[in-house]
Amino acid sequence: MKNITIGIIDYGMGNHASVEHSLRDIGFRVRVSKDPAQLDLVDALVLPGVGAFPAAMSALYELDLVTYIQEQARLQRPLIGICLGMQLLVSASFEHEYTVGLDLIPGEIIAFSDNDVHIGWNTLECSYKDPLLNPSDGESFYFNHSFVYQGPAEYQIAVARHLSVFTAAIRRGSVIGLQFHPEKSQLAGKVLLKNIIKELVDA
Amino acid sequence: MLKKRLIGVVTVKNGWAVQSFGYRKYLPLGKPECLVENFDRWGADEILVQVIDRSLTERGPDFELLEKLGRLGLGTPLIYGGGIRSVEDGMKVIQSGADRLIVDALLHDDLSVVNSLGVRLGKQAIIASLPMSIGADGLELYNYRTKSKSHISEALTNVIEQGLISEILLTDWKNEGYPVSFDKTLVELFPFQKIPLITFGGISNVKQMKTLFARSNIAAVAVGNFLNYREHSIQEFKDTMASATLRSPSYATENSLQADV
Repeated sequence: MKNITIGIIDYGMGNHASVEHSLRDIGFRVRVSKDPAQLDLVDALVLPGVGAFPAAMSALYELDLVTYIQEQARLQRPLIGICLGMQLLVSASFEHEYTVGLDLIPGEIIAFSDNDVHIGWNTLECSYKDPLLNPSDGESFYFNHSFVYQGPAEYQIAVARHLSVFTAAIRRGSVIGLQFHPEKSQLAGKVLLKNIIKELVDA
Repeated sequence: MLKKRLIGVVTVKNGWAVQSFGYRKYLPLGKPECLVENFDRWGADEILVQVIDRSLTERGPDFELLEKLGRLGLGTPLIYGGGIRSVEDGMKVIQSGADRLIVDALLHDDLSVVNSLGVRLGKQAIIASLPMSIGADGLELYNYRTKSKSHISEALTNVIEQGLISEILLTDWKNEGYPVSFDKTLVELFPFQKIPLITFGGISNVKQMKTLFARSNIAAVAVGNFLNYREHSIQEFKDTMASATLRSPSYATENSLQADV
């Protein structure tokens, strides 16, 4: 595990420094890059993100990273999307305007009902169907979003509750999306990151 | 269940963390990064850093401070306020390590920038800071740069009612820094009851916190001076409150994490 290297995809959206610190604290090696040649050298990819969906997709297109990320998913390389990065993994989003996403996991990103926002620490409820996140079942994680995943239940591996039940994590093979910020969820977040990266890389 | 939050506030003036009293008197506390590191270690739910002299001096955000905070590798969400003048400033603040922005001067100067920040970053990233007091004519919004009070403008009302921001920091600015002095009438009279509030200013004991948290529109309580008077104050507050609405106090140790690495 000490030799696992994580590649953070740097596409200019948001703060990847926190993710980098968190991963290094756990004990992983980290590369931050937008260069596919560099990202090819790592064991797992992380796609972070803060901001709006259309701007993020534009940034990925401008850096010619869309096809690269899609290809890596097809090759079964572990890929973890965090917050906006999770939303980018799905088919499309309705944030501001209809925008096609990376389409690695079927589903869409829609606004919370009543224009609501979901900010703060909430409890993760893991699905019995997929044991990946089970060690973190019942732990609290930090969420900060106003749009949410809507898609087939088979891809939902964890939910949380805010007015109603919503999707907190999705998975399709080696591609994982986390709606919350494990890197800002103190020890619980680091434990979760450690577990899922170890599991995905060892698989 | 979404928990209510206890936010640690670090007020920065002339590069130093200060105790602030009623927006007019300041006493030095030390290096901001040391206080922020403490709040991170003590398990704050969020940390709010407000640099109160950046807009006054038109120097823009304090990127030097943000760089220092970035080097701490915080595991706690960071809210930054101070000197944000444009969308570019806001984007750079987020890229420098903040998770959310808080704006005050911009609410008086240029609401279109606030709107654009929401579009670019998502409204969940934007908090409006409203220092309030009660005058003869009802609630008054304080402009700390001009030291004047006014009613909330129609334009600002529109921004809030249109949901272009996610939360409001409702500060009892007159009582800020003084123990057990937050005037809860501010909350009762506050005209926007649907938007989540962060209350701040003169909140120093558990009884006050419990009263505030009992209101459904209060999402968080922010505390500044009173968290710095003793070690582990955040865990102590949470322990004493023993409330299911708050995240349990965390006594973070890396041992359990590192053991398997």
